[in-house]
Amino acid sequence: MVAQGVSKAFGSLVAVSEVSFALGPGVTALLGPNGAGKSTLLRMLCGLSVPTTGSIAVAGADPRTSSAARAQIGLVPQQDGVFERDSVRSFVELAATLGGVTDIKSATDQALERVELDGPLDRPLGSFSKGMRQRAKIASALVHDPSVLFLDEPLNGLDPRQRRSMIALFHDLGEQGKTVVVSSHVLDEVERFGSNVLVIARGRLAAQGDFRAIRSLMNDQPLRFRLTCTETLKVAAALVGGGLATGIEIIGDSIELTTVDAPLFRARVAMVCKHYDARLYELSPLDEDLESVFRYLVS
Amino acid sequence: MNQFLAIYKLVLKHQVTRGRVILVVLATVLFAVLGRIARGESDPTETVVGVLALLGQGLIIPVICLLLGSGSMGDWHNDETLVYVWLRPVRRIIVAAAATAAAITVAIPATVLPMVAAVAMSGEVGNGVLRGTITSTLAITVAYTAVFTLLGLLVRKPLPFGLIYVFVWELFISRTAEGAQRLSINSYGASMLSRATDISLDFAGRGQTATIIVPVAVALAAIALSSARLNRMEVA
Repeated sequence: MVAQGVSKAFGSLVAVSEVSFALGPGVTALLGPNGAGKSTLLRMLCGLSVPTTGSIAVAGADPRTSSAARAQIGLVPQQDGVFERDSVRSFVELAATLGGVTDIKSATDQALERVELDGPLDRPLGSFSKGMRQRAKIASALVHDPSVLFLDEPLNGLDPRQRRSMIALFHDLGEQGKTVVVSSHVLDEVERFGSNVLVIARGRLAAQGDFRAIRSLMNDQPLRFRLTCTETLKVAAALVGGGLATGIEIIGDSIELTTVDAPLFRARVAMVCKHYDARLYELSPLDEDLESVFRYLVS
Repeated sequence: MNQFLAIYKLVLKHQVTRGRVILVVLATVLFAVLGRIARGESDPTETVVGVLALLGQGLIIPVICLLLGSGSMGDWHNDETLVYVWLRPVRRIIVAAAATAAAITVAIPATVLPMVAAVAMSGEVGNGVLRGTITSTLAITVAYTAVFTLLGLLVRKPLPFGLIYVFVWELFISRTAEGAQRLSINSYGASMLSRATDISLDFAGRGQTATIIVPVAVALAAIALSSARLNRMEVA
């Protein structure tokens, strides 16, 4: 999937501006604060909305005009709306029929099985819980075996066990060679999808790639570490005195510190501890998680 | 063909709601009462045909077609379920044709029943009244439903727009000039009814061939425009 110079304007408001990227197989998380333009971008990627400028290609064609491209797309939209009077089974069968699947029954059974939907599948969708409807939407997106999947807040309404199961399913799909794009605002959930992210901030592409690699490239942002050791006062004083740490907070047996030169700090911290006969138990980064990276990128 | 049938069945399933059934029952009862009243008039045939032309074809039929037609794809548009059909690799003309066909399938009994009830209760089933009522109702039902199906895709709130069209154009402006009458669907129904019953109606100057061809052409054009609209619209 390739987006080339994609922009979208609503009158004078530019929702997405000059976004370019290419995505291949695997799971990619689409991140951004509310109003950043993620949903608009996702809609354009599916062909649901026309870019003001730029172009989008899925499987080599524009999904807005090409049936062949749309046949390669599966979408779980964010909105709750489903055909309320349809049963779960007929909802998924409809997707299979319209998707050009030949063995509709078998494909439907498989899709329902993959999302672990069983029970009274002939009841109207409107009578089911949000979690059941969400899984029906996922089954409907999978039933025609698309090569590109767009999942907009796909874990909404699911209980923790179902969330784990769906995350495993998305991983499986990525490993099978499908391009899976997941938009979610719950960052610790997104972190479980994998490390590949596409960050949108104020309508622009702020970063793309492995978020840990992105963090390591952010030289202008000091890194924070937690150091657990004995002789905390001596070690802390030495770290500040030696210019290895710019900010220090001692919390019990731990030191939380900020450094502007992480490689140098990592290389020398053990020597400092040894110098003061301090026993070093743990050294862990505090802001290499997705939430910190995201905060830096969009701030 | 499978895709056409799938969409056709989907629309059918969602068209028949309790509220709409109640509306049709009420319309049928109302027209049965009007037919019974016409029976007591000095010229029951002329009275019942007048009621059918003005209240039936001029008002009730377009309103029923508006409710059913605008809801066929318009409901998907409004409740954001259109995406489940739009994003599939189905030709837009198939979607438009199937949805319109399903809306017409439901609209036909919904419009024919009240009209036939009026004729039956008036006792004037002969002299071409029943035949003319059914054929003219069918013709304008097909045209109105297709037009309102298109309207459901064009605007988010089709009911006020549709009612303005019915009251302002069909019931008012189009009756003021011969040229405007040609652009009124109602005029073709009235002409068909007038010809079948041999009763003169003010609004019935269309030729026999036109009364058949124009409603069908309007329906086909509306389907083509619905297809084009599906191609160009932004989907939520």
